[in-house]
Amino acid sequence: MKLKAHHIIPFLAIHVCMSIAFMTVLKEAEGVSAVLITKEKVFKAGSAIILKFKLSASAKTQLFLHSSYGSTAIDSDMSEGNQFTIPTFITDKKGIVTYKLFHQSKILAQGEIQITSNDKTQIFLESYIGPPSITAGRKDYTMQVVVPTDSYDNPLPDSTAVVMKHQFLNIVKERILYSKDMIGWTNIFSDDQSGRLLLFSKVGTTVSEESSVDVFPALPRNFKISSKRKHVYADGNQITQFITSVIKDEYDNIISDGTLVDFVIKDRNGLLLHTQGITINGQAIAKMLHPDQKETWEVKAYVSGMAESNVLKIEYTQVLDDFKVQFNSNNREVIIGPLQSFMEQLIPDGAVVRINIFKEDKKIDAKIKTSSEGMVRFLLQDGFYPNGNYDIQINALGVQKEYKNIILQ
Amino acid sequence: MIDWNRNIYRSLIIISFIGVIILTLFGISQVLSYLNTGADRTSMLHLAVSKEQVYLPKLKWKDTINPARPIEKQTLLNIEQDYLNAWYIRNAAYQTNKEDGIEDYYTKSARQNILKSIDSNKKKNIAIHSTTIHHNIALDFYSADGQLAVLSDKNVKEYQRVYKGNKVLLETQLQSDYQIMLMLEDGFWRIRHIVKEEAHPIDTVLQDNTLAKIVDNKIFIENKEYQIKGINYYPQKTPWDMFGEDFDIDRIGQDFDIINDAGLNTIRIFVPYEVFGKAKVKAEKLKKLEQVLDKAIGKNLKVIVTLFDFYGDYSVLDWTLTHRHAEQIVTTLAEHEAILAWDIKNEPNLDFDSRGKENVLAWLKEMTSQIKQFDPNHLITIGWSDIESANLLKDEVDIVSFHYYHDLNTFADWYDTLHKNIRKPIVLQEFGLSSNKGLWSPFGSSEDKQAKYHMQFQEMIKQENMHFLSWTLYDFEEVPSAVVGKLPWRKHKQKHFGFIDRNGNKKPAFEFIKN
Repeated sequence: MKLKAHHIIPFLAIHVCMSIAFMTVLKEAEGVSAVLITKEKVFKAGSAIILKFKLSASAKTQLFLHSSYGSTAIDSDMSEGNQFTIPTFITDKKGIVTYKLFHQSKILAQGEIQITSNDKTQIFLESYIGPPSITAGRKDYTMQVVVPTDSYDNPLPDSTAVVMKHQFLNIVKERILYSKDMIGWTNIFSDDQSGRLLLFSKVGTTVSEESSVDVFPALPRNFKISSKRKHVYADGNQITQFITSVIKDEYDNIISDGTLVDFVIKDRNGLLLHTQGITINGQAIAKMLHPDQKETWEVKAYVSGMAESNVLKIEYTQVLDDFKVQFNSNNREVIIGPLQSFMEQLIPDGAVVRINIFKEDKKIDAKIKTSSEGMVRFLLQDGFYPNGNYDIQINALGVQKEYKNIILQ
Repeated sequence: MIDWNRNIYRSLIIISFIGVIILTLFGISQVLSYLNTGADRTSMLHLAVSKEQVYLPKLKWKDTINPARPIEKQTLLNIEQDYLNAWYIRNAAYQTNKEDGIEDYYTKSARQNILKSIDSNKKKNIAIHSTTIHHNIALDFYSADGQLAVLSDKNVKEYQRVYKGNKVLLETQLQSDYQIMLMLEDGFWRIRHIVKEEAHPIDTVLQDNTLAKIVDNKIFIENKEYQIKGINYYPQKTPWDMFGEDFDIDRIGQDFDIINDAGLNTIRIFVPYEVFGKAKVKAEKLKKLEQVLDKAIGKNLKVIVTLFDFYGDYSVLDWTLTHRHAEQIVTTLAEHEAILAWDIKNEPNLDFDSRGKENVLAWLKEMTSQIKQFDPNHLITIGWSDIESANLLKDEVDIVSFHYYHDLNTFADWYDTLHKNIRKPIVLQEFGLSSNKGLWSPFGSSEDKQAKYHMQFQEMIKQENMHFLSWTLYDFEEVPSAVVGKLPWRKHKQKHFGFIDRNGNKKPAFEFIKN
């Protein structure tokens, strides 16, 4: 088909007409103004929101929305329409929504709608209790914070009634308070007794989970200690027990199990020994091995930084009066023993025996051994101790014996 | 011979054996070291989360009085930091439509709301570039166990720009009030609820200009009309590096004498953004700037201070950092008598192509309002590189400034059009001609031609009674590549705009430095 001028002209004419029409639409749009027709300004969360605008001329508009969690821009429901369905992620959330209707970057109408929390839905309660443990004595407290929300996770408005209930021993208390700044909160003070505090809260018909707070006894008061032992002899073998009285706080609550009690023992020479015990039912027991010589101990116990005991004085008497010493093999073998107790029993294995060796009034060596079946044997070998005269001093369980001018050959 | 061969074979076998062993050991060690890398266990505790500050809107604590528990200073700082991070992360998420970092600053239930929103924007190919400009926070509640806090944030000034693809749909400013609940989880103060509340805008009271003002399109300083006769100034030895290592205040003082003796009353100087320390302005640099301004008072010179030299980001998320930069410089010098005007940026219109016109203009617009808040005493201008751009933001600035390096003959027409459109003082902020005739440009202008150019220009300036600042006092020996690029003929040109040559001799043009 040949293309001729009269074929093209109608096409051109239509084209020009359309362009002009289009231009006029655009021109009109320049001066477009808009008003919101939707009367309602306050909506409950979760309800469908449709905003309708009236435009002075038809134009393609978009709606900018700015809400609690961010912004978006939406197109109208129909391509040429002026009706906008607000997306659910905005209608579900409480807060002011700012809208701006715009056309080609020009704002035609703007305003705000309000979305409130929906009290018709089921209410959820988040409760936060802290601190989780407090001490008795009416001074310390724990805080119960409740965040009531609707089922869209929107905090309920201020002045929502919140029932706070707690139980302690045989007390049950309930109070009603009104939420503010998204939350309802109350302080719960401890009583004089220790124990467990149970709490929960309630908004409408929704009940929160039960939570518990431990009320621990307050600081311990000073206490007494006593000792318990099988006999009074310093045999280095038996065990002495130190026992506290039942430690209580100022409200007569027995302090918590597991409280560490530190016992400090001061001996005759002013040296300090330590032992520890933890309390069970208020009493702590600590143990200490008997000394191996005559001794006087001063014992005092502490709950560090909180309480202390009286000073307990306790004495140990010498376990043996004397022991035999035998020199054999040209005095090079020294046999000590048998070491016998006051009951004429062999001293248990492990009693410490020391010998000090002097030559010409100068200490040249000290040897230590422990007893086995009541006996201790020292060998003075000639490689170390050349032939000659020696003085020997023997120490065992607080008894000292001296032998002068022992000749080693 | 056979022995030789045998030895060669032997050594080859031994060497290859050693080689294989080395390779095996190397391989094993690589595997072991690979297995030893990875997340350190302590990272679970979030002890060493990077603390570089990337978001610094103006944040004021109105009060921390709350009925529950007095707050510790450290906790307050932690809450503040995490709260601002939450805004930054959210802004970044809406800009990129990615959820990076959201889980660090929003609790599990709160983050759903943002993710849904981002999801929808992503589907519609919408991106929202946004920032907050200031926050006024009050602490409403802080729980006894220190795990929960409620804040209210009033008059949050927000700027948002909505894109569809690459097209800007809308640019808008919002003022909102929020109430926010935060919880301490995993060492982060995370947002649990945000509720946007009805805004109660506070009117910001702007003081009147006291040092310089505009009346009837004329500049008045201390109630006397002021005619700018000025020059753009860099020291000869340190062009584009005025406040660097070789800063010499005595030399600058001598230059000011030359300028003053020549009958000029104004200079324009440049404050580079990065050199001055970006969001944390360096005290030593600020002190040097103050020294220069003090010197200028002594020599009866007024100063136009051009900020943000060599700055080029303009992105919405970078705004707050530049605001803090301006705040530190401008508030320090707000009372300084030497300053005539703050020039926000030199030739920002040259960044339109590379950074987007909307980015640059929105940044400039907000910056003018920021600087007005920091300093009500001085004037504000923007140094447009051409006369066509001078219409932009004319309502925001106090003085309209433009630069002119084109043909002398067409200037008058351009100026007339501009003059008719703008009812504000107009400043010809840069003009000049390089006497760069030489090896690099055989057809360049000679010094005499430069003199003639200035003579003619000054005649026009006199006729129109224009404010002017010429470019520039000195010929320079070195021009940094950052200014005009690396091409030697361009650098060469930039070196010869001065009224005084490299040897300190006045060029013929010096006679026409003013009218």
